[in-house]
Amino acid sequence: MGAPGPDGAAGTPPAIEIRGLVKDFAVGLRGLRLRAVDHVSFAVRPGEIFGLLGPNGSGKSTTIKLLLGLLEPTAGGCAIFGVPSGKVEARRDVGYLPEAPNFYRFLSGRELVVFYGRMCGLAGAALRQRVEEVITLVGLAGSADRRVETYSKGMLQRIGLAQALVHDPRLLILDEPTAGVDPVGSAEMAELILALKARGKTVLITSHLLGQIEDLCDRVAILDRGRLVAEGNVSELAGAPGRLSFETDALPSEEIAALRAWLESRGRRLESVAPARRRLEDVFRAHVGRGARSTEEKR
Amino acid sequence: MWLIAGNTLREAARQRFFQFLLLLAFTLTFGARWLRDFNFGAPELKFLADCGFGAMAFLGAALTIAATAQLFFSEVDNRTALTLLAKPVWRAEFVLGKLLGVAALAAVFCALLTGLLSLVLAWREAELVRLLPDAVAPGGGVSHAMVALGGLMQWLRLLVLAAFTLLVATFAQSQLFSVVTGFLVLVVCHLQHLAQDAYVRAGSAAGLVASALISSVFPDFQVFQIADSLAAADLPATGDVLRVTLYALGYSAAAAGLAVVSFRRREI
Amino acid sequence: MIYRLKKWLGLLASRRLITVAIVIAGLAATGVILSAIIAPARDSIRARQPALRLDAAGAGQGAALAILGGFRALVADFAWIRMYTIWERRDLPGTEMLLRLVTTIDPRPVYFWLNSARITAYDFPFWRVLAAGGFETVPEDVQRRLSHEQARSALRGLETAMRFHPGSVELWVERANIELNRLGDLNAAAESYRRAWELPGAPHYVARLRAEVLRRAGRRAEALEWLTRLHPTLPPADEGAAADVVLGRIRDLERELGVPKERSYRPPGARE
Ligand SMILES: Nc1ncnc2c1ncn2[C@@H]1O[C@H](COP(=O)(O)OP(=O)(O)OP(=O)(O)O)[C@@H](O)[C@H]1O
Ligand SMILES: [Mg+2]
Repeated sequence: MGAPGPDGAAGTPPAIEIRGLVKDFAVGLRGLRLRAVDHVSFAVRPGEIFGLLGPNGSGKSTTIKLLLGLLEPTAGGCAIFGVPSGKVEARRDVGYLPEAPNFYRFLSGRELVVFYGRMCGLAGAALRQRVEEVITLVGLAGSADRRVETYSKGMLQRIGLAQALVHDPRLLILDEPTAGVDPVGSAEMAELILALKARGKTVLITSHLLGQIEDLCDRVAILDRGRLVAEGNVSELAGAPGRLSFETDALPSEEIAALRAWLESRGRRLESVAPARRRLEDVFRAHVGRGARSTEEKR
Repeated sequence: MWLIAGNTLREAARQRFFQFLLLLAFTLTFGARWLRDFNFGAPELKFLADCGFGAMAFLGAALTIAATAQLFFSEVDNRTALTLLAKPVWRAEFVLGKLLGVAALAAVFCALLTGLLSLVLAWREAELVRLLPDAVAPGGGVSHAMVALGGLMQWLRLLVLAAFTLLVATFAQSQLFSVVTGFLVLVVCHLQHLAQDAYVRAGSAAGLVASALISSVFPDFQVFQIADSLAAADLPATGDVLRVTLYALGYSAAAAGLAVVSFRRREI
Repeated sequence: MIYRLKKWLGLLASRRLITVAIVIAGLAATGVILSAIIAPARDSIRARQPALRLDAAGAGQGAALAILGGFRALVADFAWIRMYTIWERRDLPGTEMLLRLVTTIDPRPVYFWLNSARITAYDFPFWRVLAAGGFETVPEDVQRRLSHEQARSALRGLETAMRFHPGSVELWVERANIELNRLGDLNAAAESYRRAWELPGAPHYVARLRAEVLRRAGRRAEALEWLTRLHPTLPPADEGAAADVVLGRIRDLERELGVPKERSYRPPGARE
């Protein structure tokens, strides 16, 4: 595929570096101002999956737009692989999937990806091959010749991902990639992201669906009203050190009582006993997964 | 930049722009047949040309303003500009690509209608000569070079108009505002010569400054009317045509350059 | 805090203002440079665009006309077509108003002026007589008066037209025709034909017409002199020049005036 190998060498600049970033928006006619991003600083190391979390309106998308040079910061700055945002070169190695993406409705999916590939300097056979690759990768091979205006929300996200991947960038910025995507699709997307990580890509992903992020990210940052309120490893932030949980076959109540007694005899306590449940998402995937894929492919 | 231009053109094409053109062409040809009923003789050819160019000027201006604003804001409002500008693309490329796309659109429009007009004129002239051999005086026939020049002038005018509309659009928050302002610019450019007269006649200092400003900020669209005759004898000097062309290109380039400046400061 | 807010506000406002200022300054500078480029061409462009006849129209109309800008020709054309439909209904005030409007909006085509004059001189008196009860009932002197009134009105129109088109043969010929056919003023017609003939590009028949009118006015000697001076200038090969017809006329006139054979006109190159 010609993907550049992972460059984890020390001394390389961080994939993303954000320093003291501030963004004010003018809202209303009387010069009222709204601070969407408030002195945010963090860095994303090459090769990791970084989650940017936060409630609605906490400034995630704004941070990303600042990072991509789509907005101008009020103060502070950011850089991608050491190149300050705002320079065109900073965006050379970035794939961006905006939130609720919208594309040229008058193009077909394939034409769209070709167009963006050309914008990134691809051409000729390399372009054609790469386009087919990413379209297959996102699972749109069956509907690539339909006009984008006929796409469903989930398909828009997929074509958006294809567009972001077409020039094989080192950094991927995904703004709520699973919004409007069904659980099967989300899981596929998660697999895809992990596969990209395995090939040495860096991924910045935002979401307010913590469950998805938790399984995926190495590190996360949490924003609230524009301020960075927490940052760290997922296991550090969400793990409960010194505690353990386990799952067994169903036990009759007397055996549970015996287990509890055994633990108490060692000075431990059995704190919770509950019937094991599969996550609804897994149930959904077990039932829908195959069928959904096959109809997609039949088309 | 060329890619964006091509894409812009493709968008226009898929918005059934060409069906519109076809319809227009039909109307023009039918209009020509309708004029026949009046049977004016030779001046009828001038009428045909006036109608053709009038329709081009009017519809072309409407088309250019609407297309420029629409094609610009469809990117901004649909957030496709976000994705595009997140690619390694200069803002200047975006703006110039849009302008080139609209310019190409206007060129197709002018070329098609001018060609059609030329055909209609030739056909009608031949018919008139057959019916009334004296109707067309020797040397008084249709000069197709003049018609082509008229088409070129129409295009130059539309190019300037597109650049100015784009400049407005990079400032504006809404498409409607850009369209309205675009038409305003059109009117001002047509009234330019009055501002110049006012400049000459202005009594007060304030009036002098205002009219001087207006007459240099806005181009004078009257200069494009150097081809409003059909007689080869009236063909303007090549120097004049070159000057007018330079004038149009100069204003377009300036407006486009400033549109880039303004768009660079815009938040997407 | 408040101070900082104000500072940001000021910065942002000035940013936008700066952009606007840059744009205006940039365009103004462009305009100054380009007006130097276009200046030499401007005179010839202006010459093609005679000033709108705002004096002829009312002030309100004038403003509306100014806005027409580039669409003058088209608007005039449509007004003309509209004039024809009204003309078919023999609506004199309506037709007259539109004729004036058309020549006001776009005085450039001679065609408009010519046909305005013809309609005024030939159609209007006819309509007025019909409106007054028809040719049987209206006394002949009244008919003549109406006809002369209209002819004079048409001549006034032609005079205005000549200010726009000083070199137009057609306008002088039309003037002569009206003087001849509607006013019966042979002397005036002869003079107008002479003026037409003096203009470059005048067709040869104009000169012959002048001779004919002079003859009918009883000024035969003048007619003969006119033709004998004309004949040597006629290109013999040109059918339109009709040199032999002119020679025939000369002989007729010589006969009528009783010019002796030895003093008769000798065409150049003719051997005797
Ligand atoms: N162009 C803009 N003009 C004014 N205010 C804006 C603009 N863009 C964003 N904001 C405001 O900035 C704040 C942060 O918005 P942002 O889109 O970054 O939030 P988010 O974290 O992405 O939210 P969500 O989870 O809903 O996508 C919000 O209060 C929003 O209203
Ligand atoms: Mg968001």
